[in-house]
Amino acid sequence: MRFWSIRLASVLIALGACVLLQALVGHASDYEQRIVVLVGLYITLSVSLNLINGITGQFSIGHAAFYQVGAYLTGYLTLNYFSKQPIHNMLLWVILMMFVGAIGAAVAGFIVGLPSLRLRGDYLAIVTLGFGEIIRITVQNQPAIGGSYGMNVTPKYQSVALVWLLAIICIAVCRNLLKTAHGLPFLSVREDEVASQAMGVNVTRVKVTAFLIGSAFAGAAGALLAHFEGFITPTTFGMDVSFIILTMVVLGGTGSITGSIFAAALLAYLPEYLRGLKGADGQPLMIPGSNVVAWLVAVAVAVTLTRLVMNKYSGDKLKKLALYLGAFALAVVSRFIAAFFLRMIPVMANKQIPIDQVRMVIFAVTLIVIMLLRPQGIFAHHEFSWSWVKGLFKRGEVPHSAVSA
Amino acid sequence: MSILELQAATIKFGGLIAVNEVSFKLEKGDLFGLIGPNGAGKTTCFNLITGVYKPTSGDIIFHGRQIQGTPPNRIAQLGICRTFQNIRLFPALSVLENVVVGGFLRHRTTLAGALLYLPSSLRETRRLKDEAMDYLKILDLDGVPNARAADLPYGMQRRLEIARAMATKPELLLLDEPAAGMNPQEKQDLMETVKRIRDDHGITILVIEHDMRFVMNLCERIVVLDHGEEIAHGPPEAIRNDPKVISAYLGEPV
Ligand SMILES: Nc1ncnc2c1ncn2[C@@H]1O[C@H](COP(=O)(O)OP(=O)(O)OP(=O)(O)O)[C@@H](O)[C@H]1O
Ligand SMILES: [Mg+2]
Repeated sequence: MRFWSIRLASVLIALGACVLLQALVGHASDYEQRIVVLVGLYITLSVSLNLINGITGQFSIGHAAFYQVGAYLTGYLTLNYFSKQPIHNMLLWVILMMFVGAIGAAVAGFIVGLPSLRLRGDYLAIVTLGFGEIIRITVQNQPAIGGSYGMNVTPKYQSVALVWLLAIICIAVCRNLLKTAHGLPFLSVREDEVASQAMGVNVTRVKVTAFLIGSAFAGAAGALLAHFEGFITPTTFGMDVSFIILTMVVLGGTGSITGSIFAAALLAYLPEYLRGLKGADGQPLMIPGSNVVAWLVAVAVAVTLTRLVMNKYSGDKLKKLALYLGAFALAVVSRFIAAFFLRMIPVMANKQIPIDQVRMVIFAVTLIVIMLLRPQGIFAHHEFSWSWVKGLFKRGEVPHSAVSA
Repeated sequence: MSILELQAATIKFGGLIAVNEVSFKLEKGDLFGLIGPNGAGKTTCFNLITGVYKPTSGDIIFHGRQIQGTPPNRIAQLGICRTFQNIRLFPALSVLENVVVGGFLRHRTTLAGALLYLPSSLRETRRLKDEAMDYLKILDLDGVPNARAADLPYGMQRRLEIARAMATKPELLLLDEPAAGMNPQEKQDLMETVKRIRDDHGITILVIEHDMRFVMNLCERIVVLDHGEEIAHGPPEAIRNDPKVISAYLGEPV
C-alpha cells in the first residue's frame, strides 16, 4: 500500500513538474523555449547513450542516427497521414508518434547492435559511427523526404512538457535498472564478458537489450524534436551531434546517470547562454581580443597549478583546499598581468570579438579543462547522493554501488 | 550414473593437440583433482567442459546428456560453474554485486518489471542479495560486502570467485588453481572450506592445483595430464608412487 502511494505520488509529481514547466516557459520567447526543449532532449539522448556506453560498456558513438530515425519516421507520418487518420487530437498523435519513433529507432538499434556481438572497443565505435553516417547519407539522398533540403513537419506541435516527461521516464528507467538486480548483468558485461557468460549471463541478449532500449529513447526524442521544430534536415543529426552526446556521457562520468544529466544540461545550455550574453548597450557582447587571450592564459595557469597540487600534494584536506584557492588567485592575477602586456599589442587591443564567435572557444576550453582535471568525468562512476558528497570531505569508504548491503 | 564424463575428449589448436583423447568420470560428491605440469591442458579441459571451446572430437556428458557445443551461459544454467586461473572478477562492482551476478541466473522476475520498479522485482533483488550474503559468509567475506572487488587482497579475490560460482548453485564446481598465490595458512583454510562446500552443500568438485600437498590432502581421486594426454588416474597414494607421474611431472616422489 505504502509502496503504491509513493509510486502514485512520484508519477503525479513528475507529471505536475512537466506541466508546471510548460506553464512557466509558455510565455517565454520561442528562442528560450527552444533552449529548454534542447536541454531536455539532450538529457534523454545522453542518459540513453550512457545505458549503452557507460552501463553496458559497448562503445557506440552513432547515437544521432537513432535520433534521426525517430525524427524522420514520425515527421514523414505526420506530414502524410495526420490529416487522413481519425485521431485529430495533436497531443495524442504526438504521443503515438513517440512510440512509433521509439520502435523505429529500436529496430535500427537492433541492427547497429548486432556488430557489438563480435566487435569490441574501438572497432565497435568505428562500425557504429559508420552506421550512423550511412543512415544520414541515405536520408540525404531521398528526394521523397526532402533530401538535403530537409523536410517540413506539419502540423507541428510544441510541447515542453512532453520533452521533459520523456527525459524523466528515460532517467527513471535507467535508475530502476541499476537499483534492481536486473541491472547487474549489464554492468557485469561491461566488466568482463567471459566471466559474465560463465556465470550464466546471456551476453548477447544483454547487449542487444541495451541497444534496443537506448536507441528507442533516442528515437522518441527525435519524434519530439521533429514536431517541435516543424522542420528537420540531415545536418541536424550529423556526426557532430553524435559527438556532443558522447562528450556529455564521458564528461559526466561514464556509467553515471546523474553525471550524464548534469553534463547534458551544461553542454546544451552553455553555448546558448553565451550566445545570449548582451553588453551594457543591449547589443551582443563584444570582447577585446587581448581579454580573450588573457583569460586563456589564466585558465592555463589555473589548470597547471591545480594539477600540480592534485598530483604532488597529499595531506590535510583543508590545507589542500587553501592551495587550490591560492592557485585560483594566482590565475586571476596572471590574467591581469597578461592583459596588461597584451594591450600593448595594437591588434589585440583594438580587435573586438563578438561573444558569438568566442563561445565555441569557451565551450572547447571548458571541455579540455574538465578532462584535464577530472579525466574520469565529473561524477566518475558514482551517482550523485548526499552521502557521496559527504564522502568527498572525509576519508574512508565511499559508497559506490547501487546494490549495496 | 556419473555426473560428468569425458569420453575421449580432444581439442586441437592448429597443429597443437592441447587435450588428446582424455577420458574420466566424476561421481556425484567426488572431490576430484586434475594435475599436470604447465601447459598440460588442464585449463583447456575446463574450457571444454564449460563450453568455451567445442571439442574437435569426443564427448562431454553431464547427467547422461551430451553438452559439448552448448554455450557457456547455458552450461552454467545446467549446473556447472567455474573459477578462473587468472582471476576474472567484475573489478568495479562491489563484492556483494559480484556474487549477486552469480545468483542472477535463478531470477524469477522480468526485465520489464525491473524497469517499472515493481515491488516484485525489489523483493527479488532483496532475496538475491540475502542469498549472496550467505555465500559470502561461507567464504568468510561477509565483512566486506561493499568493497570494490578490485580493492580486495589477492587471497580474498580468489575466495570471492568461489563465492560467485557457488551462487549459481552448481552441482559441479570447477576450481582452477584456487590456492595459487596464497600463503600456507590461507591454503589450509581454503582446503577446509572446499571440503565443507562438498560435505555441507553436496557439490561435486573438480580442482586444478599445482600445490601437491594441497591436492594430495584434499582430493580423493586424481587424474594426471601431460602434453594433453592422460598419464595416470587413481587415488592420491597411487598417483604419488606412479613412476610415469614421477618422471613426467614431479621429478621426485612427494
Ligand atoms: N585458445 C588457444 N589457442 C591456442 N593454443 C591454446 C589455446 N588455449 C590453450 N592453448 C595451448 O594449449 C596448451 C594447454 O594449455 P592450458 O592452459 O590448458 O595448460 P594448463 O595445463 O592449464 O597449464 P598451466 O598449469 O600453466 O595453467 C598450451 O600449450 C597452450 O598454449
Ligand atoms: Mg591452467
